[in-house]
Amino acid sequence: MIRLENLTVRFGGLLALDAVSVEFTAPVSGIIGPNGAGKTTTMNVLSGFLDSKGGRVDVEGTDLLSLSAHARTRWGLRRSFQREQIAEDLSVRDNILAMTDHSRASRADKRADLERAIEFAGISDILAKPGAGLNTYERRLTDLARCVVGQPRLIMLDEPAGGLTRDEAAHLGDLILGINDLTSAKVLVIDHDVDLIERICTETLVLDFGKRIDFGPTRSILDNPAVRAAYLGFETGAAADA
Amino acid sequence: MPTLPLRSWQVGFFLAALLFLLLPVVLGGQWMRIFTSTACFTLAAAGAGFIYARLGMVSLTQVGLMGLGGWITLRLNHSTALPFEANLAIAAIGTAVLGMALALPALRMRGLYLALVTLMVAGGLEILFTAYQFPNGGAGFWGVGTSFAAEMRRPALAKTDAAYLRYCILLVVIGFVLIEWHLRAKPGRAWALIRRSEAAALASGVNVTLYKTWAFGLSGLLAGLGGGLLAGSLGLLDASTFRASESVLLFALVIVGGARSWLGIVLAAVLFRVAPGLLNNWGVDADLALVFFGAALLHAVITAPEGIAGQIIGLLSRLRRRNRGQA
Repeated sequence: MIRLENLTVRFGGLLALDAVSVEFTAPVSGIIGPNGAGKTTTMNVLSGFLDSKGGRVDVEGTDLLSLSAHARTRWGLRRSFQREQIAEDLSVRDNILAMTDHSRASRADKRADLERAIEFAGISDILAKPGAGLNTYERRLTDLARCVVGQPRLIMLDEPAGGLTRDEAAHLGDLILGINDLTSAKVLVIDHDVDLIERICTETLVLDFGKRIDFGPTRSILDNPAVRAAYLGFETGAAADA
Repeated sequence: MPTLPLRSWQVGFFLAALLFLLLPVVLGGQWMRIFTSTACFTLAAAGAGFIYARLGMVSLTQVGLMGLGGWITLRLNHSTALPFEANLAIAAIGTAVLGMALALPALRMRGLYLALVTLMVAGGLEILFTAYQFPNGGAGFWGVGTSFAAEMRRPALAKTDAAYLRYCILLVVIGFVLIEWHLRAKPGRAWALIRRSEAAALASGVNVTLYKTWAFGLSGLLAGLGGGLLAGSLGLLDASTFRASESVLLFALVIVGGARSWLGIVLAAVLFRVAPGLLNNWGVDADLALVFFGAALLHAVITAPEGIAGQIIGLLSRLRRRNRGQA
């Protein structure tokens, strides 16, 4: 269970998050909203890159906000970025290995974790490739392997299907659905691809201008007229049906 | 653009072995000293190059830190009976500690601002060296006498100039291996992530503060080692060797040589020490080298981002591919 309570972030005069509270319980949950809604800001607060003005984040009994950014990763927080952050100097294998460097697991456990993540992402044929030589899809898969390696407890994926073809995005969606079975970690996904969100997320939070618009089962959320007006651009249910 | 292998240590090791065997045999007198000091500056250049290539940060203090390493080595030599190796180790560690202190502004700054801070530190060291000079066996804390210079001890295995040059080359190889060992292990991966972005590093569990400090400490250690070796070579050091402008020049030559490969670092040190010596030999003002260096820097920035080493390795790769194709 991931409980966010009264998360508030202000950039000068702009209220990026306005006392957002929500409780995610599903294995895979989504956060959607138009640009500037506060989706990535929420992830940045959870990652420790931004401070919330008050509020609390409770994940399986741990107060996440009390940990430093790198300590959260050691605790089990994983995230990907809208613009993937593969180190260009490192091979794919070293990019994934870097995630296990700072855990206290034994060397044998780390090796087993590494092999499991590589097999899960299906990237065993590109392990020696340097980060600089990867295409977008390979980068996304490497990012996913970095997220599932070790003992993750919460994985946050920021637009994981960005820049991918429909088939690639569908395959990535299948992999995301398999994360919870593999690691028992909860997954939070941000994406503009509503089809992907609908397919993989059991429940979804909708944000707009930093405020919570709605939260609940994804299908019913997407049918909410207020959500359609804010995010999908339809003003009424009749318009949406048209 | 040629793709430079990320780990070009084989090239560096081969080159060092060749120099170790040949240089002391073919060189004499002044050139022996010039190449010994080239080896010392190679260590400082390696520190500057690795910080730039692996973390994307600019340190313009390397020559100043060399001066500090030289100062500590001379001070210990004249005031204690410790062997040269112990003095050298203490000097390297002392300089590493200052290097770590330098990392404190680096934690918050990047790019031009960090370069300016490190340049100011180099300027501060230059003022200190000019004001207090280097110990030569005199009395007091600064150890500077006006009319004499006490003997500078050398390693038991390297009393002669030729043996000392080999000793320096060996330590340069050890310095390169030390960096390579770091790059292949946890610190190297952490630095690669920091270079990508600090957010990426934090999201991978990297303690950015620790690893930046570590990198600057390693860079300082290498510079201190180089300074200590230079003190052992010359016996006396002069403040004019460690001016802040020399740090800037050394960094520029690291870019010209190629910061990402050991070959580039060696080329940078050779350009730094040997090129002016050659011009002097030919009866040309050594300061003219600065004009060539400026043109070479312009060339590197515009057309050869991997430096001269990148061009050499690219050429060799093309030749190898062509030969393979013909076979």
